[in-house]
Amino acid sequence: MTPTRTLELSGLPRYDISNRDPLFFGQVLLCCIEGSMFCILMAIYFYLRLSVDVWPPPGVQLPHVTAPTIALVPLFLSALGSYWASQGAKKNDRPAMLVGMIGNLILGFIFIGLRYREIATLNFKWSTDAFGTITWTILYLHTLDVIADLMMTVVLTVLIALNRYGPKQRIGVHVDSVVWYFLVAIWIPMYFVLYWGPRWVGTP
Amino acid sequence: MSTLAELPSPQLAAELEAEHQALRRVWNDRGGFWGWFSVTTHQAIGMRYIVTAFIFLLLGGVEALLMRFQLARPENTLLGPDLYNRIFTTHGTTMMFLFAVPVMEGMSVYLVPLMIGTRNVAFPRLNAFGYWMYLAGGLVLYGAAFFNALPNAGWFSYPPLSGPQYSPGKGVDVWAQMITFTEISAMCVAVEIIVTIFRMRAPGMSLNRIPLFCWGSLVQSFMVIFAMPSVMIASTVMLLNDRTIGTHFVNPAEGGDPLLYQHVFWFFGHPEVYIIFIPALGMISSILEADTRRGVLGYPAIVLSQVATAFIGFGLWVHHMFATGLPQIGEAYFTAASMMIAITTGIIIFCWIATLWSGRLRLTTALHFVFGFLFIFVIGGLTGVMLASIPLDLQEHDTYFVVAHFHYVLIGGALFPLFGAFHFWFPKFTGRMINETLGKITFWMLFIGFNVTFFPMHILGLNGMTRRIYTYPVEMGWGPANALATVGACIIALGGILFIANVLNSRKNGKVAGSDPWQAGTLEWAAASPPEPYNFVRLPVVNGRYPLWLPAEERAAVTGMRTDKREILITASVDAEPQFLHVLPSTTIWPFLAALGATIGLVGSILTFSWYYVAVVLAGIGLLGWFWPRRPLEQEG
Amino acid sequence: MKRRAIASFFIAAAITLNGCMSTRQSALDATGIEARSILHLWWFFLILLGTIFAIVMILTLGALLRRQPASERQFVEQHHTPPQERERKLSRMVSGAGVITGLILFALIVISVITGKSIAPSGASNALLVTVHGNQWWWYFSYDNDDASKIVVTANELHIPVGRPVLIRGTSLDVIHSFWVPNLMGKRDLIPSRITEEYLTADRPGRFRGQCAEFCGLEHAKMALWIIAEPPDQFQAWMNQQLQPSVAPDDPDKQRGLQVFLNHECIFCHNINGTPAHGQVAPDLTHLASRSTIAAGTLPNTKGNLAGWIADPQRIKPGNYMATVPLESGDMQPLVDYLESLK
Repeated sequence: MTPTRTLELSGLPRYDISNRDPLFFGQVLLCCIEGSMFCILMAIYFYLRLSVDVWPPPGVQLPHVTAPTIALVPLFLSALGSYWASQGAKKNDRPAMLVGMIGNLILGFIFIGLRYREIATLNFKWSTDAFGTITWTILYLHTLDVIADLMMTVVLTVLIALNRYGPKQRIGVHVDSVVWYFLVAIWIPMYFVLYWGPRWVGTP
Repeated sequence: MSTLAELPSPQLAAELEAEHQALRRVWNDRGGFWGWFSVTTHQAIGMRYIVTAFIFLLLGGVEALLMRFQLARPENTLLGPDLYNRIFTTHGTTMMFLFAVPVMEGMSVYLVPLMIGTRNVAFPRLNAFGYWMYLAGGLVLYGAAFFNALPNAGWFSYPPLSGPQYSPGKGVDVWAQMITFTEISAMCVAVEIIVTIFRMRAPGMSLNRIPLFCWGSLVQSFMVIFAMPSVMIASTVMLLNDRTIGTHFVNPAEGGDPLLYQHVFWFFGHPEVYIIFIPALGMISSILEADTRRGVLGYPAIVLSQVATAFIGFGLWVHHMFATGLPQIGEAYFTAASMMIAITTGIIIFCWIATLWSGRLRLTTALHFVFGFLFIFVIGGLTGVMLASIPLDLQEHDTYFVVAHFHYVLIGGALFPLFGAFHFWFPKFTGRMINETLGKITFWMLFIGFNVTFFPMHILGLNGMTRRIYTYPVEMGWGPANALATVGACIIALGGILFIANVLNSRKNGKVAGSDPWQAGTLEWAAASPPEPYNFVRLPVVNGRYPLWLPAEERAAVTGMRTDKREILITASVDAEPQFLHVLPSTTIWPFLAALGATIGLVGSILTFSWYYVAVVLAGIGLLGWFWPRRPLEQEG
Repeated sequence: MKRRAIASFFIAAAITLNGCMSTRQSALDATGIEARSILHLWWFFLILLGTIFAIVMILTLGALLRRQPASERQFVEQHHTPPQERERKLSRMVSGAGVITGLILFALIVISVITGKSIAPSGASNALLVTVHGNQWWWYFSYDNDDASKIVVTANELHIPVGRPVLIRGTSLDVIHSFWVPNLMGKRDLIPSRITEEYLTADRPGRFRGQCAEFCGLEHAKMALWIIAEPPDQFQAWMNQQLQPSVAPDDPDKQRGLQVFLNHECIFCHNINGTPAHGQVAPDLTHLASRSTIAAGTLPNTKGNLAGWIADPQRIKPGNYMATVPLESGDMQPLVDYLESLK
């Protein structure tokens, strides 16, 4: 039963470097998955905290607050790099994409470096006790996600630098920036939970 | 730009033939050995999910039969405690993770693009990758049998029993990591179903016109997105790490809490059963519409009820923990929510009964399974209301009453609709009609066998028979009911064998079906049987909820799309206005390679934590090949 | 006069026998106040929900079996929807059914919460306090008392006075177990590092079997317990007996048995008051012979069964933690004689 009325759509654009692209939707959903994971981890943090009287346990120090607070600076600035690259992707502006992504990478790796320094100076391990476990887990998983996205940005930077790209790869640059915004944004509540929560609420 | 034009018939026929040939060339999966690993069409991948899941159903069924034979007599010695514990754990794990969720996903992957009038899912390579991860997970679990490493702590593996001290060996590690595989697979399908349904619908198919089956897939996919991370945390982050690298999530000696595991697991575990059940609701709606010749009554009510069920389903999990001594006030809230969810599912059932009352019934095998569902699932739902009441739950929890309840809701609520769906969509999948007489006999065997097996278990539970016991003394008086249940299990098995025989025979000898043997209303029946890999020569334009029930003059199709590439149409999320064209990837082996890399690493991580990094590196290489742009690059402008 | 005496004799025998016979391990045989509360709730739910089920099935079958007028059939065939008026009527009925469902469920919630409150720990002042520790795969019981010399420790069999609430307060020393005696009350999980509580009150004498209701490993199936409910004076007599140190061996055979016990690994795990055996990780044997079963309800407590158990515990309960202690020939009989003298 073949229909005889037709809708002629050959004039439609062949791509749309914007939030309308399916890849963007897919990436938002992946961020929902990661976000759910981090929210559950934060809930676990509070559960473990509320089931003991002394937090952290005696002998264990709270993680120092200086390094991670300083690390926020390259983290937030790196998001600007992502934004710059994303705008460049929409306009097919190759220098803007390169500048944005390289800026994002430099600042992102500075952030990772500071994170590494911070982890090296913790005086507890994941196997010390429940406090160590949950603190390390949150730090570790967020760091892993950040490194994964930096790797993705490296690949995209290489492709743009080699001039081996088309609209699909530009969409990739745009979507990659969204992932980075998510990783920066989700860090904010976790930063407060890990470093400030125990200091403000404190041990009784 | 876009115009509506009338075209004369002979010219139309010639154009369509040319388009059909071109599309076939572009959409055909590569044959051969490597071609099999490179498939990215949704029909092939959907069918792989369904067949693989069915094989796991059979394996789980064999495990069930072994359990039933052991329990048929008091103090039986067929299976010792160790073997019995491994078998019941593997049975539950197989059914929940390797059968129930993947088969529903497979049905969605196969049917959703057809129902919304597009050619593939939004992310074909992710689809392939998800399937390979699922298969790998199943192979990991059953491969463990060869190393005497089948898990033995139950399908939800409560610590401390499942912890390093009381479950030494690799069994529970295998269990925990298998979940990583199946949950990655489920999340892949969920992501692509949501994006496909929102962004790739036929022009004119606004959200209030999508089939209820698609609503079911959509709601279920959102539940997967928000629930599955929880099981990953419970099994991999908490339990596996406590077992292998000395974390203390659930170790009370160092500030952990065994109950934390239960909370995090059941936060996933309860939505999980709705993840299994809600797609089945979609199947029932589809079957009912075709076999009552009318659209289901109360489409908006059913949609809202499904959405409400999904939301409320996230707020019930503590009803699995009523015996743990949590504060009463908190528990009372979960009683209320657990009972209230019966309203949303009840409304859906009432709408269906009203549909049955006012429709013109055609008593196919599929409709038999719908009636079977109504009988069995309503019993299961009502025993669920009983279990929601804390005083009653304190007697019934962890007894055969609960075993009866969840088999009634899972088999009644998911398996019966699924078998109905198999008989209903068989012509679409294979191009042939399935034998209806044998189908009806299958139904009666499954229906009678099921009730004979599981109804006595309600009474056994009330009479004190606890779950997960490998034997029981003769004085308890549980022997006769157990023997009866075993007889029922044999009847189910025979019904299953008959079904397989019917499928295999009908594929070869069944009557040729044509596109629309049921004169149904939704778009999948406009495609060929079985569908061409591109589904429709021209993508449909839709003017109502039941496009095929509209008169021919009101139907329209899209023209102007390329037939030399795998091009599909992106439309607006709510009202499906055409927005732009999009080319999907073709056959590629990289999803398989990425899955292979991830599998190697994850299997290694069962033994040593550092193999996670191997997984990341190998999967990363796979992703690099996956996404590396091939020349010629898509043109700009 | 004689006939009356004979009749009274039979009646008394029947009552005694009934009291001696164990009650079915069933929630439907409620012999305690809490269990009876739950059972009443059960019947209410069953009758109400059963009726709803019947109504729904009748409606469903009605849809299947009714004769549809030809005009209606044709209308649906053509328009794929029934006439508007009919559709509206059906929709109203669906809405009505939804509302009724909501009201019924609301009533069920209220009645459940009320019942729940009535069986919950309420701080009854005359409660008998019993501590339970779940172990793989046996039950530790102790009757608590502020006076340390009045604490009674036993295993796998609990005696309670009729008519007095018993507060079961428990935890587990290894994995999660669940304490469940269906005749008397619902179950309560025993969770390591937590303490859980429930009340139970027997209102008639009797013997009530229970078993562990949370999968706890290899021999979860063979972790049963018995609760013996007795009139208060009989219970007090039992308590006084339990407070005594172990019965000293009164003949050379039993003395030899005690020596066998002390010379083997038994003392690493078991405790017998009044002897040097003070092991704490296995059932207390001080009054072993006063219990009706061994191995947590697995076998009746007879000399033959006890000998078989000691000789090869793994055959009876494979995987349990009792060591197989090889004995010289001639040691088993005195050992069993001694242990079965520990009333």
